[in-house]
Amino acid sequence: MAGIVCRTASQIISSQASCSSVLAVRHSHWFTSVLSLKTSIPLRAEPKKKKKVDPRREIMMKERLKKKLKRLEKVPPELIPIEDFITPAKCFDETRIRDAPKLSFEESERRALLLKEWSRYKYSQHQTEMDTIEEALEAQRQALDELKLESEELYKAAVSSDMDLFPFQREGPSYTPPITNYEAPEGKYNNITRVYTQ
Amino acid sequence: MAAPFSRLCRPLWRITTTSTLNKGVRNVSSSRQQWSAQNVKTAGAASPWALNGAVCLQRLPVVSEDGSPIEEEFMELMHLMEFERSLLSDHELRLLEDAARMSRKQEGDYDSDEEDYRDNEIVTAQDLEDIWEQKPKQFQPAPRSQGVDEKDMSSSERCLADSLILLVKKDVGSQKLWLLPQIQWQTGETLRQTAERALASLPGADKKATFLGNAPCGYYKYKYPKVIQKEGSVGAKVFFFKAVLSSHKHLPLEKNSFAWVKKEELQDFLKPEYLKQVRRFIMAL
Repeated sequence: MAGIVCRTASQIISSQASCSSVLAVRHSHWFTSVLSLKTSIPLRAEPKKKKKVDPRREIMMKERLKKKLKRLEKVPPELIPIEDFITPAKCFDETRIRDAPKLSFEESERRALLLKEWSRYKYSQHQTEMDTIEEALEAQRQALDELKLESEELYKAAVSSDMDLFPFQREGPSYTPPITNYEAPEGKYNNITRVYTQ
Repeated sequence: MAAPFSRLCRPLWRITTTSTLNKGVRNVSSSRQQWSAQNVKTAGAASPWALNGAVCLQRLPVVSEDGSPIEEEFMELMHLMEFERSLLSDHELRLLEDAARMSRKQEGDYDSDEEDYRDNEIVTAQDLEDIWEQKPKQFQPAPRSQGVDEKDMSSSERCLADSLILLVKKDVGSQKLWLLPQIQWQTGETLRQTAERALASLPGADKKATFLGNAPCGYYKYKYPKVIQKEGSVGAKVFFFKAVLSSHKHLPLEKNSFAWVKKEELQDFLKPEYLKQVRRFIMAL
């Protein structure tokens, strides 16, 4: 707006340049010469000329950034290390190796025989466990057959799943029985587990 | 229907009761279009067997069992082998260092300036070990056997290492028999509810029990003696349901009518036929 006004003003002034009394009136250093084209700051500063080039430049910048982002995202995320699988450096310390004791012949024989005895014992234990379970399952199956003979409705009610049973929780046996009315002392602990984020 | 491991008495039962059972089945199938309650009623009326629900209430072990001799031996061997194959720990290294330092101090040419002083001087590793051993002695755990007389059947604190079953002495006909708590089935309820009712009807403190599922774990069928047998009733069927005792107040029960019994002791209490069926589903592992 100001530029247009200035341009018209300069045209008027230049048409009357010869008779004007604007001779060398340099009121301010912004006016370089009377005769030349009057240019003011706004004209020379050139704000308006960024019409086609800048949007294109901005679009180009955005595309370049997007490409960089894609390249970064394509890299697979670093896997969280499983701390149990990494042997700590302490274990490779040679000063820690214990002297291996020398076993007598009787001792090594005793050990071998005990291991074999153990495997036999565990096998028989497993067999009895499996047999007990099979027996109990068979008893239940026969009970259900009998119930079916009695009435269909009761049988269906028996065979339907029990929603309240699971999740089923129970404390197992401990070494000593629980003390009645025992108040456990409050303990503090510092949790030093390492938390990884991906 | 012939199971590979059929019992001797079962085929006999099948022969004598097939006729009555078939009648019952036919009646049920004809009235299936009616509603469920009525269906149940007609089924009950048609079959000559009275239905009972019983509960097998187990108090599971509170304390771990002592191992058998071979288990003890094997455990010791495992500890020994693990120890032999292990590396020295920080504490053990410290013990060795202290021992080496002590031996150097005893020697004549001991120059204390060569030692690099650390906190180890004040508290040696051996002292730490002694402190650690003393600390657990301040806590007194409860004794394993709990001091209750093993022969006192009515206490549920006996034999903490085994699972116990609750038995009740009941009048059946003319005799007094030891049974699992049972009660007659009423129309309109499922058998599991009958079993829960049987448990609740026992005198004594309320026993909080978790029933393991809707299905019965076993059954026992018996015929009434000829004198009592009427037109419609031949005998009774008892369906057992398993329940696990979760918590209860330890009030003493009457000695003569209640007993907490291990699986091995069941034979002293129950009749042989009854025992044979009950033993199948009681697992004393």
